[in-house]
Amino acid sequence: MAEVSFIDEVCSVPGGESIRSCIQCGVCTGSCPTATKWDYPPRQAIAMVRAGLRDELLSSNSMWFCSSCYACTVRCPRDIKPTDIMHALEVLAIKHGLSTKRSRTPVMYQCFVDSAKGNGRVYELGMMIKLFLKTNPFAALKLAPVGLGLFLHGRLPLKPSRIKGVGELKAILNKAKALGGAK
Amino acid sequence: MEPKIGVYICHCGTNIAGTVDVEAVTEFASKLPFVTIARHYMYMCSDPGQDLIRQDIKELELNRVVVASCSPTLHERTYRRVCQESGLNPYLFEMANIREHCSWITEDHAAATEKAKALVSAAVRRVYYQEPLETREVAVNPNTLVVGGGIAGIQAALEIADSKHEVYLVEREPSVGGHMAQLDKTFPTLDCSACILTPKMSLVGAHPYIELMSYAEVADVSGYVGNFKVKINKKARYVDVDKCTGCSECANVCPVTVPNEFDLGLSQRKAIYRPFPQAVPNAFTIDKQGYPPCRSACPAGVNAQGYVALISQGKFKEALEILRRTMPFAGVCGRVCTHPCELECERGKVDEPVSIRALKRFMSDYEMKVGRKKATPIERTKEDRVAIIGSGPAGLACAYDLIRDGYPVTVFEAAAKSGGLLRYGIPEYRLPKKVLDNEISYIKELGVEIKTNAPVKKIEDVFKQGYEAIFLATGAWESVKMGIPGEDAKGVIHALDFLKRVGLGNKVSLGQRVAVIGGGNAAVDAARVARRLGAKEVSIVYRRSRAEMPAEANEVDAAEEEGIKLNILSAPVKVLTKGERVTGMRCIRMELGEPDASGRRRPVPIKDSEFDMDVDSVIMAVGQAIDKTALPKELEYTSWGTLAVDQVTLQTNVEGIFAGGDLVSGPADVIAAIAAGKEAAISVDRYLRGVDLKAGRPAPITRVKEVSREGVTPKARHSMPTLDPQKRKGFAEVELGFDEKTAIEEAKRCLNCGVCSECLECVKVCQAGAINQDMEEEVVEVDVGNIIVATGYDAFDPTPLYQYGYGRLDNVITALEFERMINASGPTAGEVFLKDGSHPKTVGIIHCVGSRDEKYHEYCSQVCCMYSMKFSHLIREHVPGAQVIEFYIDLRCVGKGFEEFYNRVLAEGTTFVRGRPAEVTNIAESPEEEGKLIIIGEDTLIGRKRRVPVDMVVLSTALQPRADAEDVARLFSVSRSADGFFLEKHPKLDPVATMNDGIFVVGCCQSPKDIPQSVAQASAAAARALAMISAGSIEIEAATSVVVEELCSGCKTCSTLCPYNAISFDEEKKVSVINDALCKGCGVCVAACPSGAIIGRHFTTEQLMAEIEGALV
Repeated sequence: MAEVSFIDEVCSVPGGESIRSCIQCGVCTGSCPTATKWDYPPRQAIAMVRAGLRDELLSSNSMWFCSSCYACTVRCPRDIKPTDIMHALEVLAIKHGLSTKRSRTPVMYQCFVDSAKGNGRVYELGMMIKLFLKTNPFAALKLAPVGLGLFLHGRLPLKPSRIKGVGELKAILNKAKALGGAK
Repeated sequence: MEPKIGVYICHCGTNIAGTVDVEAVTEFASKLPFVTIARHYMYMCSDPGQDLIRQDIKELELNRVVVASCSPTLHERTYRRVCQESGLNPYLFEMANIREHCSWITEDHAAATEKAKALVSAAVRRVYYQEPLETREVAVNPNTLVVGGGIAGIQAALEIADSKHEVYLVEREPSVGGHMAQLDKTFPTLDCSACILTPKMSLVGAHPYIELMSYAEVADVSGYVGNFKVKINKKARYVDVDKCTGCSECANVCPVTVPNEFDLGLSQRKAIYRPFPQAVPNAFTIDKQGYPPCRSACPAGVNAQGYVALISQGKFKEALEILRRTMPFAGVCGRVCTHPCELECERGKVDEPVSIRALKRFMSDYEMKVGRKKATPIERTKEDRVAIIGSGPAGLACAYDLIRDGYPVTVFEAAAKSGGLLRYGIPEYRLPKKVLDNEISYIKELGVEIKTNAPVKKIEDVFKQGYEAIFLATGAWESVKMGIPGEDAKGVIHALDFLKRVGLGNKVSLGQRVAVIGGGNAAVDAARVARRLGAKEVSIVYRRSRAEMPAEANEVDAAEEEGIKLNILSAPVKVLTKGERVTGMRCIRMELGEPDASGRRRPVPIKDSEFDMDVDSVIMAVGQAIDKTALPKELEYTSWGTLAVDQVTLQTNVEGIFAGGDLVSGPADVIAAIAAGKEAAISVDRYLRGVDLKAGRPAPITRVKEVSREGVTPKARHSMPTLDPQKRKGFAEVELGFDEKTAIEEAKRCLNCGVCSECLECVKVCQAGAINQDMEEEVVEVDVGNIIVATGYDAFDPTPLYQYGYGRLDNVITALEFERMINASGPTAGEVFLKDGSHPKTVGIIHCVGSRDEKYHEYCSQVCCMYSMKFSHLIREHVPGAQVIEFYIDLRCVGKGFEEFYNRVLAEGTTFVRGRPAEVTNIAESPEEEGKLIIIGEDTLIGRKRRVPVDMVVLSTALQPRADAEDVARLFSVSRSADGFFLEKHPKLDPVATMNDGIFVVGCCQSPKDIPQSVAQASAAAARALAMISAGSIEIEAATSVVVEELCSGCKTCSTLCPYNAISFDEEKKVSVINDALCKGCGVCVAACPSGAIIGRHFTTEQLMAEIEGALV
């Protein structure tokens, strides 16, 4: 069984087939406020999908820098939604286990999901502690003033708040996984 | 006769034979009923294949032919021709498609062969029932209509006209030339556009076989190929094209300036204009949008825009002449008119209305300052004498119009002096008598006889004196009484009596503490006069609120400035007297209750709120009524107590007597009286000439609907300078009037709503006598055989692409605006300027603005890459040392010489950056970017985002269908493709024809293209039209539908359904009739007819049923 090509993989995501219409005009990169940080800015990322450079792209930091500002989507002359493509690439990166170390975002997303799964809600303090422990503990010091401020304004609970049916939530997620979603 | 059918199975190489067992099919066919011979051959469409058929028809006397091969769209004509040449009617032929419907759609040989047999069987069964049909020939009208005078239209017209056939070229702008006339140089040769275009334009204007109808539009098209009837609307240009020499003296004196559309608003033109110097025809055109709101709001129809426009030019004398065309009261109305014009003034929607009344007054002041010559008496051209009773504004306005019509007019005035309420009602400080006297003198100088001290006791006597018609304008001088106790005391006077006495210069005894009852102008006038006569305390008592006072707002303000108190929401109930003297007045407070019949809230007394005012004089100004005593008893009156007249003609119930003004309307304003006088003059004139009073009477004018307020900077209006309230002791005029500078400045605020102000200055200077201000639109009908539509394109407006800053940032311009700028005859004489007047050092050109964009136009506009390169060349030529950077996605340089031009432009130093910019901003992030426009985008070839600072950005905008393309398409029954351009018949093989025979679409209206392609298409359409013209007639397809008259019930179901408008109704026979030239044989009517009265020739029920049965074998 031939392995699915990178372009077919991306095209199988709803809305993904639109990248076949890309004329590489560069408006997406031009509009992107974070483009200078990307290993391969949006337009180039789409070109790499079409060129089949799966490992290179999915292990880059590119799509993780997408801030979902949608400027690219508003202006793309081919009605492609690069924001959605980037999010699809993030999913594929995790699916293929290629997510990058050059951005903390994948780790952040994982911490967020773990926290939400475990409590039914995000336990911000726990999530942030876990994030810093997994990435750079010293970075926590820079955010200490912010944390203190939040705490003093009663916006940073010290204890997690759990929903009533956490078990039910887990059951739903497990069933979804069994049905083929949330790989 | 027994059918003898020949069946021919084509192999078509391996296209059919590779899948279908052609031998088996032939064997099968030979056994079918009535088949004389069945053959198979490699290529039936080839000459030997055709010969097979020819031979068999001759030798075997075949009378039916079936060919089983490809699609009829390819070779039906071929085989029909073969039959015809062999003496067999072509409609006795049938084709079975065993390729597209059979061999090409399956790999299954067995199934294909079975299907082929079925198809052949169907065709054989069908052809049995086919009937010979004859095609018809219709004559082709040799005239051609070309719609649109751009390069495509011009080319088509010239080619056809050169063959000595008549062409009607209709162009909706005042000149031919289209967009090509706006261009500077054309790519890739850099030919000057006007240089190559104008010789053709000139030829089109002068060609003996071209009738050029400029400033005209096609209004209606009917008929069919070879026989079209077209209605053309020739818009009124108010200039005779044949007489105009193009000297432009008219434009020099025109006072109205508006944005020039040819220069895309970058320059101005006058209301009378020529779009560009090389225009063909080289005549001027007057742009009249309609009547301005001031003129339509004025009850007398005064052309306010006209005189305001001339005042703005300093032509005060000429301005006054415009007013005097309508009425003579510049000074009077300029002081006291209620100015309905200002209420409608469009400038009021920007900031404040133009001070039209003050400007009117200024004209009179100016004339009185510099002095005027005595007016020339008007020549008497009529005999019937007209009598006017009353010399107020209504009477004098009527006299003014009638004297100018040539009638002998006499005005009878009861008082010692003329003027009516103008003299005896309105006080001196508002309307100085010398102003009134000046204007009445003018009327008398024209020849109007005014008899003062001549009261008319009996109207009948006037007729006895020999007058043929009478206009009653005696006004409403009687004061209405309040009906309260004490009203008859000495010390209670009525306002009109009071004002009249003061006006006559008589002494009036007035107390020190005066109360004036009422809220109208008479009340305010009386109060302010009382003040000037020395009363210490003056108050106005009015039963409603201040906002509801009918008096002029500025009069009420002035009254308060002069120390007069307003006692609103109060009404008097009793005058307190001691003997005959007034000692006070008892009033009651009022509140506003429910609205009454007139819609105004009725004042209701508040119980127990009486109070006393300490006054010693009371002036009543609560209403005016008419004096019936001098009027004939036969006259009828309204329920209001005024004289009854016909609303339109002002005719009373007595023959020969007309009436108007306050006598008819009750107390109203001066301009309404003037309007009534003018209306009566029309009626009197018609009456005396014996013409019907109503039929053909001038209708009230309606104002222009839309007025553009674009580009107008708000600027408050000049206020009327007034005399310092401290100085207002005597009767010196309070409002002081504008000086010349103020008047001109104020007049310049006018928006010129109607564009042409009808000031007629152009008529005065036109030596060729070419201007006809009364020209009307004309509808012309022409008969043509072919129509070539060449209506061109519109340029895309990039405003919606907010990120590029067009309309928001300075120095971002569109391609067409740049063309005008770089053009030597454009708004900057060919100089490339920034908004601040300096030359740009760097220019950025952004490609694909509006093109190749799903959000606007998916298509590529073809010409933008090339014109962008042309721009870069021209910029570097006009601004030595300038740098040009072009931002593109792909470069399309496909035409002849295009790649070479690209190379040239590269060598000249233009930089190309591949990457469509994301945005243009003026927010600098570094010192080098200060004051510049920064183009932000990705340079995709180096894979990096860049910020490129430039001085000017040119947006290469798309070519799009005209805004009215939908209406034009409907007019000519052409379809449009998904992108909105007109649809050609076949994109590959028939790019200029449409589905509607005889109608062609050429140039950019069919799709964006450059000039050589437009010219080629125009020549192609011309050739097609000429082919039809030289053939002289065309064949009408025989497979059309026909109505069997005896069966038709006249229900008209068919005609409503016909998509080709081919069915009409014969009113005499009461049956539907199908025009076989328009009918395309689609069969909708056949299916819909409830009586089964329509036969679809060559597709009869019998034939179709046989075909179905044959296929089911």
